[in-house]
Amino acid sequence: MRVEYINPFVESAYNVLKEVLNCQVNRGELYLKSTSTPVLGVAALVGLAGDVEGRILFDMSKETAIKVASVMNGEELKELDDLAKATITELANMITAQAVTKLHDLGFKFDLTPPAIFTGDNMEVTTAEVEALIVPMVIPYGKVEINVAIRERL
Amino acid sequence: MKTKMDFPAINDRRPEGLKEDGTPYRVLIVDDSMFVTKQIGQILTSEGFEIAGVASDGQEAIDKYKELYPNVDLVTMDITMPKMDGVTALEKIMEFDKNAKVVMISALGKQDLVKKSLLLGAKNYIVKPLDRKKVLERIVMSLKK
Amino acid sequence: MPNTIEKTLLMDQEKLPVKQIKQDFKMVTFSLGGKDYGIDIMKVKEIAKFSQFTYVPNTPPFVRGVYNLRGEIISIIDLRIFFHLPVEKRKDGVENGLILRLEDYIIGVIVDSIDKVVGIASEDIQPPHPIFGDINVKYISGVVEYKGTLYLILDVEKLFGKEEQTVQKAHTLEALEGSLREKPGLGSTVKESVLVGQTEKDFIRETLKTFKSFHVTPVNEKWLEERYEQWRAERGKQGRDLQIKSVEEADEFLRTFYSPYTDMVWPEDFANSFLELIQEFSGKVFSVWNPGCGKGYETYSMAALFLSKFPDAILKVWAMDNDLLAISTAPNLVLPPENIPSYLLPYTIKGKQGIGITSQLKDRIFFEYHDILHVNVVPECDLILARDLVSFLSPADQGKILEEFYDKLKPSGILILGNHEEPIETGKWVRISNKSFSAYRKNIE
Repeated sequence: MRVEYINPFVESAYNVLKEVLNCQVNRGELYLKSTSTPVLGVAALVGLAGDVEGRILFDMSKETAIKVASVMNGEELKELDDLAKATITELANMITAQAVTKLHDLGFKFDLTPPAIFTGDNMEVTTAEVEALIVPMVIPYGKVEINVAIRERL
Repeated sequence: MKTKMDFPAINDRRPEGLKEDGTPYRVLIVDDSMFVTKQIGQILTSEGFEIAGVASDGQEAIDKYKELYPNVDLVTMDITMPKMDGVTALEKIMEFDKNAKVVMISALGKQDLVKKSLLLGAKNYIVKPLDRKKVLERIVMSLKK
Repeated sequence: MPNTIEKTLLMDQEKLPVKQIKQDFKMVTFSLGGKDYGIDIMKVKEIAKFSQFTYVPNTPPFVRGVYNLRGEIISIIDLRIFFHLPVEKRKDGVENGLILRLEDYIIGVIVDSIDKVVGIASEDIQPPHPIFGDINVKYISGVVEYKGTLYLILDVEKLFGKEEQTVQKAHTLEALEGSLREKPGLGSTVKESVLVGQTEKDFIRETLKTFKSFHVTPVNEKWLEERYEQWRAERGKQGRDLQIKSVEEADEFLRTFYSPYTDMVWPEDFANSFLELIQEFSGKVFSVWNPGCGKGYETYSMAALFLSKFPDAILKVWAMDNDLLAISTAPNLVLPPENIPSYLLPYTIKGKQGIGITSQLKDRIFFEYHDILHVNVVPECDLILARDLVSFLSPADQGKILEEFYDKLKPSGILILGNHEEPIETGKWVRISNKSFSAYRKNIE
């Protein structure tokens, strides 16, 4: 993945999480992973289009998702209901959109598609032919793994 | 629904959501995220606004606007949505009602998108994440325009 | 533009400890009575074959005798006898062993066979369990699993160290030393240790793999052979043994392997050698794949040179590295102001930080954070520039990547490997190297 893409995602993930959750956010070591991605339980997906093709996956456990959604809604959510799912999806959307905005300012023409959310145990999301950059973010409610796979159009 | 009477008389300030005649401003919220519509709804109703309707894509937004018209004072419009995006919906609403007050609310803050929206007639542009102060400030400003 | 990536990477001091394969403990492994054991490499002076040693009477049976190690008399303990394990008599009389450097003295031990050097994370070492019955648990400092094999780590200080009288040091070793002193002639009759060359070389291969993930294969074997002889001479002169015992020593060994100017701007004369390789180019688009580009010095040098010769060509470069910090530096590389070669000068610009590269050159290069073992998305190439990269992949991956280089190269394309590297399947390639580069063309016949 192009180096220029990395920082916008790292920064926006950090900034948005910090702003909407109002908590301590720690970034883990970045690394590369090959195509197949085991999902922790809840995965919000935002597609990218434009100069590139790719997708960003926000991966976290169900417990983390419920806690994050509760904080963002300012009320205690008991389960991963439609509101909780919509909240996580919106979080993914905000982070991706902020990164895309930064990239746009740097001259990269990206667009994003409406996010989708998947839940379930033992899921795998496979994006053929693309390696993914993993940005682990640790918040008091658990870990959010941001899995960025972007490929240039040849 | 809150009316002027619900507020203590010693507070001179009229809630932002009420017109001079004491009736609330009516807002159509357009966003494909249930979380965002709820969030915007809460912020607005707490200041006395009335939520006239909610739409979750561009086409539904146009239909709802036409249905509500003229009993709608403002639209908050998301941009990335399924079926029809918010910028296209904005364009169509402005065609229908050149005095429509539309505020774009999007997580995308791309310069050219902001510019395009404003040129098409949007009154303001709010970049997410949202907070109460930011939303109220921009919406009130747009209503005064 | 300031280097924002580096800033963010360094931004949070409270980085969480992400679990990594941290190899902070290295051990020499061997087998003893059919089980696998390890000894901390810091305690191992060298790996040896003991061919002849002098039997000393009145010592416990596990003391096989004494040995003259380049003038120093050491005792040899047979660990199998010591632990009451079966001993297979060797026909040739040559025993496998290790020479251990303990706190107080040097000692030799005989084992069944030496395996390899293994790097593990010390946190993965588990405490010993009494169930490992063959050897008294008090001599085992821990147990570790590595690639499906369980290794018992021997605590050699406990075995032979001074606090324990296990080997009845007073009465064996000292007596031994004493008896040796009494017989001044004995030292000279002890045969010089026969350190079999192949074992030593194997050991060097293993340690290069462990410390530097450098894999000796036909890609770099020629160099290794030469280097080994050189190393032997160098170390002999310094009075040091051949074995590589630290990352620093591995670096020292590899010093002559590395190709010149992989991590700096190419000087003029070196640059001219590069242009000799690219004699003609008649197409429109010239595609280059530059895996392992590091901070991008060689990428920029190559790109500027190519354009100096073919100003009308459309140059596209895919430059990648899996070192995040290095590759993050590349797009905003700052050059030292002195000695910028003339071919690069037109593409430099003075910025706030120093001399930078103009976007005219930069825009032709995609710098990617990428692991070459993942899917490589690059077009058919006119040039693949991959110096000192293949040798640092596992033997299987070396073959795979060389195959991929072949597939991704246009029929007229050029492959540049490190100066001490060559493709494994030499029949598929035609060597076109010159004084500065090890280069190949596809053999189309």
